[in-house]
Amino acid sequence: MRLNRDVYVGIFLLLTCAVFINATFEIKAPLFGQMSSALWPRIIITPLAILSAAFLIRSLRLKEPEWEQKGSLINWFHYYKNPIKCFVLFFVFLVSLPYLGMLLGGVAFVFSMLCLLGGWTPKKLVLHASVAILFVGIMWSIFTFVLGVILPQGEIFLYM
Amino acid sequence: MIIENVLAASYELFTLTTMMLMVSGVVAGLLAGAIPGFTIAMAVVLVLPFTFSMTPVQGLATMIGVYVGGLSGGLMSGILTGIPGTPSSIATTFDGFPMARSGRPGLALGIGVWSSFFGGTLSAIILILAAPQLARIGLEFQPWDFFALVAFALTVTASLAGNNMLKGLIAGLIGLLIATIGTDVIFGYPRFNFGTDALIQGFSFLPVLIGLFAFSRLLSDIRMPDIANRKLGDEQTKTVAIEHRAAAIAVLKSWVNLVRSSLIGVFVGLLPAAGSTISNILAYDQAKKASKTPEEFGKGCIDGVIAPEAANNATAGGTLIVMMALGIPGDIITVVMLGALLIHDVIPSPSFIADEPVIAYSIFISFFLANFMMLFLQSITLKGFLMVTKVRMYMLASIILFYCAVGVFALNNVAFDLWTLFVFGILGYVMRALDFPIVPIVLGAVLGQVAEQNLSQALAITTDLTPFFTRPWSLLFITLAVFSCLYPLYQKHKGTMRWADFYLPVFLGSIVPALAMMDGWIRPAIGGIILIAALFLLVQRSRKNDHKPSTAN
Repeated sequence: MRLNRDVYVGIFLLLTCAVFINATFEIKAPLFGQMSSALWPRIIITPLAILSAAFLIRSLRLKEPEWEQKGSLINWFHYYKNPIKCFVLFFVFLVSLPYLGMLLGGVAFVFSMLCLLGGWTPKKLVLHASVAILFVGIMWSIFTFVLGVILPQGEIFLYM
Repeated sequence: MIIENVLAASYELFTLTTMMLMVSGVVAGLLAGAIPGFTIAMAVVLVLPFTFSMTPVQGLATMIGVYVGGLSGGLMSGILTGIPGTPSSIATTFDGFPMARSGRPGLALGIGVWSSFFGGTLSAIILILAAPQLARIGLEFQPWDFFALVAFALTVTASLAGNNMLKGLIAGLIGLLIATIGTDVIFGYPRFNFGTDALIQGFSFLPVLIGLFAFSRLLSDIRMPDIANRKLGDEQTKTVAIEHRAAAIAVLKSWVNLVRSSLIGVFVGLLPAAGSTISNILAYDQAKKASKTPEEFGKGCIDGVIAPEAANNATAGGTLIVMMALGIPGDIITVVMLGALLIHDVIPSPSFIADEPVIAYSIFISFFLANFMMLFLQSITLKGFLMVTKVRMYMLASIILFYCAVGVFALNNVAFDLWTLFVFGILGYVMRALDFPIVPIVLGAVLGQVAEQNLSQALAITTDLTPFFTRPWSLLFITLAVFSCLYPLYQKHKGTMRWADFYLPVFLGSIVPALAMMDGWIRPAIGGIILIAALFLLVQRSRKNDHKPSTAN
């Protein structure tokens, strides 16, 4: 028996079920003797836990796929390089949103993502900057002026 | 009454603004459908934020435009490049691409366009005729029946995950669990907020949907650097003129194939979770089996283009019938439409057509109209498609990710929704990477509250659980749910294990009691016919098995 990816998934799912089952005991009981607010979640978690256990048992019986045996953390990082970059950039975009606002933050986010995925040559930098400014500007204008949505302005603009 | 409703809906629908929005929707759908890797569902999801400021009629008409356009757009890239724009056009490439390569691209495109048009129009007529009738049946539903229907919808979605049935079921349950986070729908008590105030309101539907579906899909598309840097289309693709007249004549000459494929499309659309991805292949297969020249299929056969294109557009009518008549979304696109209705405080249910006739008839008319718009806009969009193919994937993904963020923020003007998008984007991506199907999670998240409300109502009436098995509709859906869970096993063992030979007759026999218990004489009579068919199949297969040694033994 060797550990593979699905074994970790199975363990994680069982732990999640345990956390949620435990949390159902903190849900307030109903006053009128009707269906408890905790009943429906328990109806969901019980089969989820059973299926997760079945998934774990099945995973333990499986042979480790060949591609997983050759894997290492560096290989894994290399394999998921682009999505990780995008998630990190999106996280930075969300954190900076109150300060930079949707317009400036959006231009910075799109420009950084284009450069990280497409390259940094001088010609591409100009292209990416143009694309970021043009498309973010158009979208921001549509939502602000046409649809009347008040998008985050950003603290940086309050001091300007 | 019908005329009054049609007139009232027409008054709302036939305004310059709504027509312009519909045209924009059809063009956007045609372009989105034509771009390989950009699904119709994603296009409909991305259009949703624009509909917030529209009236319900305008918003739904726009989304239906995108839906119909998307179903037809896939044929452009499928025929001209051999790469289907959407999974619903896979079978179109089998004969469309060889026909285009043999020097008839204009005719191939024309046949695709006209087949889509006729398929869509036929299904629109069926939608108009069938949805109100089905809604009447839906009025018979009690909470037990609705709960069983949701269970069936989820199990059938999970069963379509094929060998990953276990993962499909887990995904569906995770979706249901996500729907419980926030506040209890019955008493309003906080639930699973883990001490966080932000979680008390629960997750909004749109950020969850966009995160799980669109966000994760985009990041999956750009995972490999060479694919991220690749242009969306073939460099060599040249513009062509669609041969409308010759194509329309060719399609009408094959009217039997056209009608059969359209009916297959509508029927598949009626089944939860089975969408145009399945119907186009099924219709192609049936057209080949029924053809006098099956050897011509795969070499540029006209019937091979008609069947999948008529079927995939007709599927839309089927999915809309279920959504409008029962208030249950059959696929991801109707999930989004349901979300759009909820945003405008319209609750889809069996009484939807009676309660909201203007919106319901607007959907009927706009679906009918969108097919005509698609016919006229296809030629114009063809040029646009050739321009879009020059864009690189990473550029499209970057812009759309930002657009997702703006769209999600526009829903409630709350930054928490953006964090929801981010978290569910990660969850969706991880689940895709681990081969968990996404559709059951989304359906679970959407149907979770419906299931809980109905269960609560059922238990408020009586704590006795037997109505789940004694009420005909509930029993029917539970039976269907059980057999849909067994379906992957049947598929795996078909032809190798003896028990699999009896799956179909046992299944047919099992649904008979539910039909026999229903009111009137038509449904019990159908049950009787099914019982005879089941017995016939049982005897036939028993005799067949007596004559051949089983590989299982």
